[in-house]
Amino acid sequence: MGFKLDFLLSILPRLIGAAAVNIRLAAIIMLLALALGTALTIVRAQKIALVNAFIAVIISFVRGTPLLIQIFIAYYVLPAIGLDLSPEVAGISAIAFNSMVFVSESMRGGLATIDTGQIEASTALGLPPHAIWLKVVLPQLFRRIVPVLINEATIVVKGTALLSVITVVDVLRTAQQIASSSYRPFETMVGSALVFLVINLVISLSGRLAESRFAAARV
Amino acid sequence: MHFDPAVLVDYWPLLLQGAWLTLQVAAMALVIGYVAGIAVALIALMPGWLPRLVTGCYVEILRNIPFIIILFVVYYGLPFWGIRLPATLVGTVALALFASAYYAEIVRAAILALPRGQFESARAIGMSPMSAMWHVVAPQILRTLVPPSTNMTLTMMKESSVLSSITVPELTYQSLVVQGNTFAPFEVFAAVASIYWLIAALIAEVSRRLERRVGAVQAEATSRNRIADRYLSLVARRS
Repeated sequence: MGFKLDFLLSILPRLIGAAAVNIRLAAIIMLLALALGTALTIVRAQKIALVNAFIAVIISFVRGTPLLIQIFIAYYVLPAIGLDLSPEVAGISAIAFNSMVFVSESMRGGLATIDTGQIEASTALGLPPHAIWLKVVLPQLFRRIVPVLINEATIVVKGTALLSVITVVDVLRTAQQIASSSYRPFETMVGSALVFLVINLVISLSGRLAESRFAAARV
Repeated sequence: MHFDPAVLVDYWPLLLQGAWLTLQVAAMALVIGYVAGIAVALIALMPGWLPRLVTGCYVEILRNIPFIIILFVVYYGLPFWGIRLPATLVGTVALALFASAYYAEIVRAAILALPRGQFESARAIGMSPMSAMWHVVAPQILRTLVPPSTNMTLTMMKESSVLSSITVPELTYQSLVVQGNTFAPFEVFAAVASIYWLIAALIAEVSRRLERRVGAVQAEATSRNRIADRYLSLVARRS
């Protein structure tokens, strides 16, 4: 029983078709994570002791427990408290929540690199807080964390493969279906590995391109 | 819906067994993965383009594929070549393989961050490459190695939950067993998440002691001025 390359090639179209699901979910998750992560960062910057203490516990929880467990919590526990979500929505919520925390944590690092003089100048000019956030802080912050966000995007894409365990029909679940009908699990898994490899390499490379664009725009 | 921890009373031994296996698997993968990572890093630093290309492919392939897929490739690949191992061992090997790519990059970056003269002077006074690495380079990079290695070890320990999908009876697997028996998802996952949380805290504590020992430098965010801190800092100023 040798490695059947032609079998691998014959199932690639089905795997690539299923990759559309992973890419779509990852895109939704990244948008949510970016929006929620930014909001969380602004809330944390208000430095309300009780709120920040609560957020610190959430962050520690998200960073201290496996993503898979967080996905199970969204899938099994949320329905038990009356939130009946479809597998896709449960999965999106879990990964987006996880990613939100990582986005906010990298924003915390990014904020420390912004020139303090700009905030002093904006305050002296009497800019209202929302203008300081929207016009001064956030545009620079987003540019600075582009490399981190690209990296987070590849992590999110990898995370979507875990949704196969809560019955989302993604690349991995499609591969498992193919494997159980063809009895060729090894070729099938190598095929899905290739699909993820290509998606993430494309993200990393286009990220590097975007970075050099931003670096040029900064000068 | 009410929270009733009593439903777990018969299942604590099962969860603790799972937690113990998670710890063992992660510890084994840490040792194997780190040794492999050091080897990959040393190969990457050899002269010529070929070693860098080969190790670069190794690292990029392992870092861009979801761990669950790496796990299945190893799980189905080993029998394909006639190697039959128990699932726990297969899972440990896959986890070590996955972690080795990240450890390799950590070690390589730490060595590259050291002034090149250190290694070259050691060679110039007649030390062999191995002994220059061991006696001159290694002691100096230990402190830069600890913080990122801790992060990676935490990530790897958390990824070990994926081993449940090839029936390794670690913590996540046991939690699904208990969930199937009790139908009490809230209690089960609250308990399991807490156990993972504890393991993570344990790893962080071990690392903190190690850091104090090797004198690792942790970047501490310092507040700069009262006005800027309103926007640029997320921690309240202590006054």
